[in-house]
Amino acid sequence: MSEDARALDLEALLADALRPIEPPESLASRLETTLASITEQAAAELSSWAEELSETELSALRDPRNWVRPVVAAAAGTAAGGALLVVQMRRRRQESGRARRLADELIRAVRPS
Amino acid sequence: MDPEEDRGGSGEDPSGARKAELDRAFEELYRAHLRDVYSYAYYRVGNHHDAEDLTEQAFLQAYRHFDRARRESDGRPLRPWLIRIAHNLASNYHRDRSRRPEAALEAVEPPSHPHGTERVVEGREELRLLIAKLDDLPEDRRDALIMRFALGMSNREIARAIGRSDGATKVLIHRAIRQLEEEMGDE
Repeated sequence: MSEDARALDLEALLADALRPIEPPESLASRLETTLASITEQAAAELSSWAEELSETELSALRDPRNWVRPVVAAAAGTAAGGALLVVQMRRRRQESGRARRLADELIRAVRPS
Repeated sequence: MDPEEDRGGSGEDPSGARKAELDRAFEELYRAHLRDVYSYAYYRVGNHHDAEDLTEQAFLQAYRHFDRARRESDGRPLRPWLIRIAHNLASNYHRDRSRRPEAALEAVEPPSHPHGTERVVEGREELRLLIAKLDDLPEDRRDALIMRFALGMSNREIARAIGRSDGATKVLIHRAIRQLEEEMGDE
């Protein structure tokens, strides 16, 4: 057998040995559920926490030294979760322009680059 | 992750519209490449259970960094980026368990063949031998062959996934095949 023919034969054998493997049907839905719960969890934690804030706490949050908690929450949900959070916070705090500005400020601060 | 969920208020909210678009794009990505990531994971870890876990972790990591990856991809396909994530996770998997990475393929069963019985036995033996030889290859060569043959990736895609130049990747694959040929020929 020539060198080229042998190489072709081996490539055919490799294609046979390394066939694509179909993932289980349950995997896609499991993934969707996990991803959805991550974004929801991050958004829920941040938005419920923001609703509990008093005026003093809102002022205190302008100090970056107090940003540990939102950073932790946003890290769980990443930029996508952060974007969802902005949407939710904006909906809930339409009347309060000041709080909304603060929320945006926080998201900008905690959003991963 | 239901893109429809956010669409209601997105008309008035650029952030909501952007998130919905991002989610839709990510959903497309994982539907298109779930099999690729799963196949790669399976051939790296050698069993379905760990392959599922690794696939899930890969997509979770991808989801976290998807926005940035899209921005930095300049419109290029994201499959190499996705496979690179799986590649790193598989390396961690083997390191964490203090296993030799070479052990994974030993557990892989050759696929069954729609041929006659004699051909099946003969073919499966040949495949078993090939898998054993694949298992002995250096990790980078074996990885490149998995990407080429199980995932059908081009040299350029493989190069991006393993962080090498196109030329170096071509040489890597060529040498991997030559090594296998020689070792199969010795049997």
